[in-house]
Amino acid sequence: MDLVTRYVAAVQRELPENKRDEIGRELSANIMDQLDSLADQQGRLTEADIAAVLKQMGRPRTVAQQFVPPQPLIRLSYMPLYQYTLYMVLGILFPLQVLETTMTWLSSTDMGLVRYLFGLAGGFLNDAIFGFASITAAFWLMSRQPADHSAACNTDWQPMQLPDAGPGWQHISLQDIFTDLATYAFLLVVIWYPVWMPAEQLASLRFIVSDQAHQFLKWASLLAVLGIAASLWQLRQRFWSRQMLLGNIALNLALVIATLTLAASSPLINTEAAQWQAVFNLEQLERSAMFTLIVIAMFPLWEVGRDVIRLRNM
Amino acid sequence: MTTAQLDKMRLELRRGVLVLAVLASLKQPHYGYSLRKQLQGRGIDIDEGTLYPLIRRLADQGLLDSEWRQGEGRERRYYQLSDLGATLLEQLTDEWRVLNAALDSLLDIATEESN
Repeated sequence: MDLVTRYVAAVQRELPENKRDEIGRELSANIMDQLDSLADQQGRLTEADIAAVLKQMGRPRTVAQQFVPPQPLIRLSYMPLYQYTLYMVLGILFPLQVLETTMTWLSSTDMGLVRYLFGLAGGFLNDAIFGFASITAAFWLMSRQPADHSAACNTDWQPMQLPDAGPGWQHISLQDIFTDLATYAFLLVVIWYPVWMPAEQLASLRFIVSDQAHQFLKWASLLAVLGIAASLWQLRQRFWSRQMLLGNIALNLALVIATLTLAASSPLINTEAAQWQAVFNLEQLERSAMFTLIVIAMFPLWEVGRDVIRLRNM
Repeated sequence: MTTAQLDKMRLELRRGVLVLAVLASLKQPHYGYSLRKQLQGRGIDIDEGTLYPLIRRLADQGLLDSEWRQGEGRERRYYQLSDLGATLLEQLTDEWRVLNAALDSLLDIATEESN
């Protein structure tokens, strides 16, 4: 019977402390009944017979889990809210990290693009881990509270408030919104940060646009502000309406025009950026900047085309 | 349909019915092993890993009363339907009969159509 004692002890080790004695006692009685019944049929039982019965009952951990099923970290009914909160918090942390890293990048004299990207990824990962752990801990605590069954049949919604059953693209994903927010935040910091930068730091920047181009960008940054406002509105609505599509087309068209206007203007590059001229001449730099701006203009232009098609199909 | 799919569906089908079978059997007091034998005798084969935790769960919900008794040189925990359990069994039995009648008629139609 040593095997049975060892088996019951192994099951008890997997159980919560307050249930160990009771379940162990009952399990032991059930196994002994089963062995008695087997002994009535077969006569004296060997260790191998007992081991076969115990093996059939299952691993001690499995048996313990059958008596006390493991509780999920987060209650199933909280999962949609948990995922939504995670997306929202991580989505907000990303633009904030873009802001912080871009400011560090611009104020640093020895931070290259690769270090900027690593800094951005590392900083976001750091914040994301903290955010993930905090949100999970909060939902874990909520899940430990007794379940509110009345919430299952909640009535605080109206079928009339549901949005139209449109095509899949009409639902605006959080990822799209936060990517736009991060892009606009990046643009604003890049355009306006040099205004507050100390003169000696400004002089040591590796690439710098001409005063004329910078002046134009300051005016064009109004579009980035409008973009942030539109993204925040999308965050509230989460559904493309005709008006929102029209607004998005107008904004992207303005961005295309502004970018192409800037590409057509000259000079784009500050002629005092002497350190660059050791590798390229000014004409090459100007041409590269122009082509880069034309490529950048293609992104909002693509969105204009996409939204026009969507508008026509609505 | 694969054997795994069939096993899964059979398990789902039996899960709710087992509660009814256990409650109905515990009109008389039983300990774990004797209950399992009685169910087996009636054609309901249920493994100990399912039955023993199920009885404990029903007792925790107040549907069964339990007490430890000495017998044949060993202690055993006996379970019996509580008043609350008896009321619930009555309601579940009515529910089962209605469902069973409806299902029977549905299955008869399905059998006729396939023939």
